[in-house]
Amino acid sequence: MDEIRTEAQQVFRDVFGDDDIVLRDEMTAEDVDGWDSTAHINLIVALEKHFKVKFAMAEISRMKDEDQNVGGLLRLIAKKLGKAG
Amino acid sequence: MSVASIEFIFLLLVCGAFFFHLPGRGPRLAAFSVANALALWSLLPGEAQAPKSFWPSLAALAVFLVSGYVVAMALRRRPSGWLLSGYLLALVAAFLVLKEYEYVQWALPMSLIKHPIGIIGLSYMLFRQIHFIVDAMQDQIEGGTFCAYLNYQLNLFGILSGPIQRFQDFHEFWQNPQPIIADRHELLKTILRINWGVLKLAGIGTACFYAYTLSSSTLDQVSRGFLVQLSAPKKLIYFAIMFYSFPAYLYFNFSGYCDIVIAGARLFGIRMPENFDQPYLARNMIDYWNRFHRTLSHWIRDYIFMPLYKGTVERTPNLAEPLSIVFMFLALFLAGVWHGSTINWVVFGILNGIGVGAVKLWELAIIRARGRKGHKEYLKNPQIRAAAIFVNLNFACLTYLFFPTDMVKTLHAIEVLFRSA
Repeated sequence: MDEIRTEAQQVFRDVFGDDDIVLRDEMTAEDVDGWDSTAHINLIVALEKHFKVKFAMAEISRMKDEDQNVGGLLRLIAKKLGKAG
Repeated sequence: MSVASIEFIFLLLVCGAFFFHLPGRGPRLAAFSVANALALWSLLPGEAQAPKSFWPSLAALAVFLVSGYVVAMALRRRPSGWLLSGYLLALVAAFLVLKEYEYVQWALPMSLIKHPIGIIGLSYMLFRQIHFIVDAMQDQIEGGTFCAYLNYQLNLFGILSGPIQRFQDFHEFWQNPQPIIADRHELLKTILRINWGVLKLAGIGTACFYAYTLSSSTLDQVSRGFLVQLSAPKKLIYFAIMFYSFPAYLYFNFSGYCDIVIAGARLFGIRMPENFDQPYLARNMIDYWNRFHRTLSHWIRDYIFMPLYKGTVERTPNLAEPLSIVFMFLALFLAGVWHGSTINWVVFGILNGIGVGAVKLWELAIIRARGRKGHKEYLKNPQIRAAAIFVNLNFACLTYLFFPTDMVKTLHAIEVLFRSA
């Protein structure tokens, strides 16, 4: 999981152009400058390319829900890579 | 039966009180299915709604719903972009004909457009159907039995005007229909919300609509030359009442309805999504559509904007930023046009499309000029925020001038305003 977090953090930094981003599980879109609907898709596409996974529309949409956070996103990536738990 | 009527509220409270006394899942789901069937029966046209009639409407609805389920299950077994696209095209075409959209009359013979089918709530069924099919193809629907799907589509708490619930959320209830109200305090809050909804819908909303009808009719008469003695300041006051009372009516009417159905659904253990979040305090039109009828906005974001934008980012990333503005315009334009079958909705859709497109352009301009940090400071500035809320409120009210179907009245009122200025 730590490996996924480190790699995802670099993807976040590239997409949002901010080298100071440090991923924490409880982080939400509110905590990252410029994380709007278009940036969200840019991030998803970048994560898909980096981890070679594919997110369904329902999964992408759920990530924007108020109760969702970066921890949920990282767990989803881990699940898709077969590294859950 | 109106959702704000004494009969409906009485039935809601009585059935809600007894629902969880039914023993176990089977009897509860059976009772819920019967309630949905009765609600559907009351919404299908009776003799009083001629030339619309019951049986053709029921048959059309059956084809509409069953075909959606069959295609969803086929796509879940074997995903196919061609089958999905073909079915969605056919579905939307059928929807346009069934709803008798004015612009369809330019392309199809009248004999096909004028039919005896009238289905209330079809627009919302279309949204739920598209969501169900797309999610089924992407393997995001678990345990979607036909019975669950049918009750999801005909759920009496969302059939009339939403909120648009996701199947996955409905399925939580369907799998395990248990109380979700924790204690007496929460029960009291739920019942108070139903009462507050009735007051908003039947009391405040009706008063706002009366103010709108009175002011728009007065301005209409002035425009037609029947009321020549009205002074210019009075004309402006009537215009202001008309301008603000209709959006107020829409908010109180629709959010009041949502309060009743969301709180009513909780009595039966169903979590319906929230649909409003102080929309007239939004600072721009993107923010506004995240607060007003938000389940519709989120549906449009998920099933129109995101696929278009994601496809562009994947294939032609250089074009993604400029095209995002076009896609936002398109998404909100379609949302506007969906609201109704007459030409005023096209104007409403265009204005909303321009509104969100302009917000995105403005945001990009600020980021280019001042960087992301400067944009963040701009968003935090309380004076700018207050000014933005004021401007957005008035722009939203402007779009609602074209919400009522009687556009002649609206144009007359605008004409009076310009002659008085």
